[in-house]
Amino acid sequence: MRVWLAIVLSGVVLATSAAAGPAQPQRGGTAVVALGSDPETLNLGITTSFPVGAVGASLYNGLIWVDPRGEIQPQLAASWTISPDGLQYTFQLRPNVKWHDGRPFTAADVKFTMEEVTGKYQGRFRRAFEQMDRITVVGPTTLVIRFKRPFAPFLRLLSVFDCPILPQHVYAGGDVLRHPRNMEPVGTGPFRFREWVRGDRIVLERNPDYVDPVYLDRLVFRVFPSPTLRVTALETGELDHISDFYLPKTDVDRLRRNPAIRVRIGQPIPSVGFFYMNTRRPPLNNVKVRQALAFAINRVQITQQAMAGLARPARGPFGDGFRWAWSPAADFNKLYPYSPERAAALLDEAGFPRGAGGERPIRLRLVYDAARAPLVAAAAIIQDNLRAVGVAVELVPVDAAVRIDRVYMRADFDLALETYTSSGDPAIGYHRIYATAPPRVPFVNASGYSNPAVDELLTRATEATSRAARAQAYAEVGKLLAADLPALMLFDEVGVDAARATLRGVWTGADARDRWDAVWIQK
Amino acid sequence: MPSGRSTPLWRYAAGRLAQAVPLLAGVVVVNFTLIALAPGDPITTLLGEYPAPPDYVAQLRQEFGLDRPLPVRLVRYAWNVARGELGFSFAYRLPVATLVVGRLGNTLLLMATALCVAAVVGVALGVVAARRPGGGVDTAATGVALAGFSIPDFWLAQLLVLLFALTLGWLPAQGVRSVREEYTGLAAVVDVARHLVLPAAALSFRYMALIARLTRAAMLEALSQDFVLAARARGLAERVVLVQHGLRNAALPVVTVIGYNFAFVLAGSALVETVFGWPGVGRLLYDAILKRDTPVLLGVLLVVSATVVVVNLLTDLLYAVLDPRVRY
Repeated sequence: MRVWLAIVLSGVVLATSAAAGPAQPQRGGTAVVALGSDPETLNLGITTSFPVGAVGASLYNGLIWVDPRGEIQPQLAASWTISPDGLQYTFQLRPNVKWHDGRPFTAADVKFTMEEVTGKYQGRFRRAFEQMDRITVVGPTTLVIRFKRPFAPFLRLLSVFDCPILPQHVYAGGDVLRHPRNMEPVGTGPFRFREWVRGDRIVLERNPDYVDPVYLDRLVFRVFPSPTLRVTALETGELDHISDFYLPKTDVDRLRRNPAIRVRIGQPIPSVGFFYMNTRRPPLNNVKVRQALAFAINRVQITQQAMAGLARPARGPFGDGFRWAWSPAADFNKLYPYSPERAAALLDEAGFPRGAGGERPIRLRLVYDAARAPLVAAAAIIQDNLRAVGVAVELVPVDAAVRIDRVYMRADFDLALETYTSSGDPAIGYHRIYATAPPRVPFVNASGYSNPAVDELLTRATEATSRAARAQAYAEVGKLLAADLPALMLFDEVGVDAARATLRGVWTGADARDRWDAVWIQK
Repeated sequence: MPSGRSTPLWRYAAGRLAQAVPLLAGVVVVNFTLIALAPGDPITTLLGEYPAPPDYVAQLRQEFGLDRPLPVRLVRYAWNVARGELGFSFAYRLPVATLVVGRLGNTLLLMATALCVAAVVGVALGVVAARRPGGGVDTAATGVALAGFSIPDFWLAQLLVLLFALTLGWLPAQGVRSVREEYTGLAAVVDVARHLVLPAAALSFRYMALIARLTRAAMLEALSQDFVLAARARGLAERVVLVQHGLRNAALPVVTVIGYNFAFVLAGSALVETVFGWPGVGRLLYDAILKRDTPVLLGVLLVVSATVVVVNLLTDLLYAVLDPRVRY
């Protein structure tokens, strides 16, 4: 008993001392960060892939970074002004910034990056670039960007994850996609590339010329393919940080009880879990059937059981992650409370009555990623919920590549479980769920839904210059989408990432991947 | 040229080698066709979870030759392989050969260690068990062997990590070397050896069990022969009887089993490497499957097939040397 008391007390002391800590950051040491697999490249400007972002965010800089409150802060841009009509942005860049090879960073690098790299190849930034009229270099540290139409999420798309600034002197005249420097990058970021042992680790070292202090000597990204053992490595101290993307939710409770580890719950970049309904074919082309499904699914059960409580039941077609864009008019809790009775009534009304055995003549195939445990559990709950109202669901667990093929390229599904991130703005991450889109584009409108009124309102929400006007557009489109339900939102994810308690300053940015310059190790 | 009734060894070897060539050609064609027909597109898998610009997708498709019909791609691939070129990885943008060679060392280190441990411990267990069949040692050895057969590699791997890495903290759980410290010289060797212990143990257990059972049976068979009785009658020490007369005759099936299980050890290493984050060929294969990195997938399968063919060939030759009767 005494031994246990001593252990508990020492745990408390450890936790307290870890939480208090000295105020002064210390220099030195190596932090080891988990990756689930090797990145495909280290050029963050040509992909939206997660592992590339994880590493690339420390090698490159964006014009801005996003703080934990979701506010935009200057990085390579020192300041900016926006014209009242929302069409012209003038950026003053930070002076005396150098590339890792010693050459000076200038406004020409920004223009080159946007025109030749991110505007062409970066899936998210390209949307902003398409709205641009021209980019003008006014001086070495001044840049003017003029838009054809206002584009509200623009500033948000200037972070390192969407528009990392690349060196013109390295890439100009070459093939950006095949450039050897994609594997040994030259950036302006807080860390320089040192070595990449494929399948094992990527080693970065402190950039001595960085404009702000950088505390760690080295930052090592290590590949840990097994989710379970990734957590074990954090517990044994072989690893210092696991980001939300790589952290198995079922281990969070255990980690929270470990005094040597700190867990942050609530990464402030909203993302949603939902299922697409294939509106191209019966019975899901019938809106009553889709609404019946919304009544039949127990969203609370999914958040509690499948998401281990680390989610909120969805409250509208865009979740509730953006308070300013959320509207009570489209609140699922009011519109579609869990009610198998109302679901059954709607299905009867839609012409699918129960047969002798209690089953209705509806059989739906639910496609989902077999490697993601929370989605596997959610699929089982959905099957169970729908069975209760007489709808048979056939589970189709597949791997990620097959899912893209079946759901997006061939539309061979009835229901498809997905999670999408907003990337900080509903216009960047969520519009693609509902906006009319050409077929066979991965991660875009798999339901086949197309509604001109919705498209127009989504455009309004993108182009409006004030937040109030944008909110109004979302309130209106929310009502239409909540009635049409081409996709049923299930939950808003609550991000969670974990770090060794000795690691300080991890959560300086909104995304735990992007401010490793501020991180230091308490000795 | 050696004379006698049996076929000369070189002719036997040449004959077996000639059989291997069409076999590998078949492997190339079958693998390529099966993988090309499997669902899942490497380009869409490569591009991240946001829609990529269509012209970029088209550019990549053309760059990787995926815009051509299947038969054209197959002929092109077979021609390249015949010239010794394994292709270019979609995901890593590196030559497949570079990737495979870079990983092969780690896998061979893991496999060689696991097979050595399995052979040494398995043979020792088998010999000890055969000394007194039905005795306490035999029963214990049989129990260990049974456990070895029954426990899946990846599950054992996780148990080992829980016990030795997490609970006791004696050994590292992941990777091939430490990344926090950069060791050199002897310290680096020790560091790698420490990382090797758990994955090698996980990988070797099943084969240790297999070899133990086989050695026990072969020893019992050998020890019941007249020449062993004669040796004992001559008053030779029991150790000499066991090793020189028993084990020497029992060695043949054990060698064969190790050789023929090479492919299974390789397959097992894919799982064990994934659990332990061991950067070997097995992991490369696993990642290539997830990313639909077809050239890497084909390259690894070809290299593995070739290795298995070569090892089986060497096993046959070794067998032919040990027992000339097989050359007929």
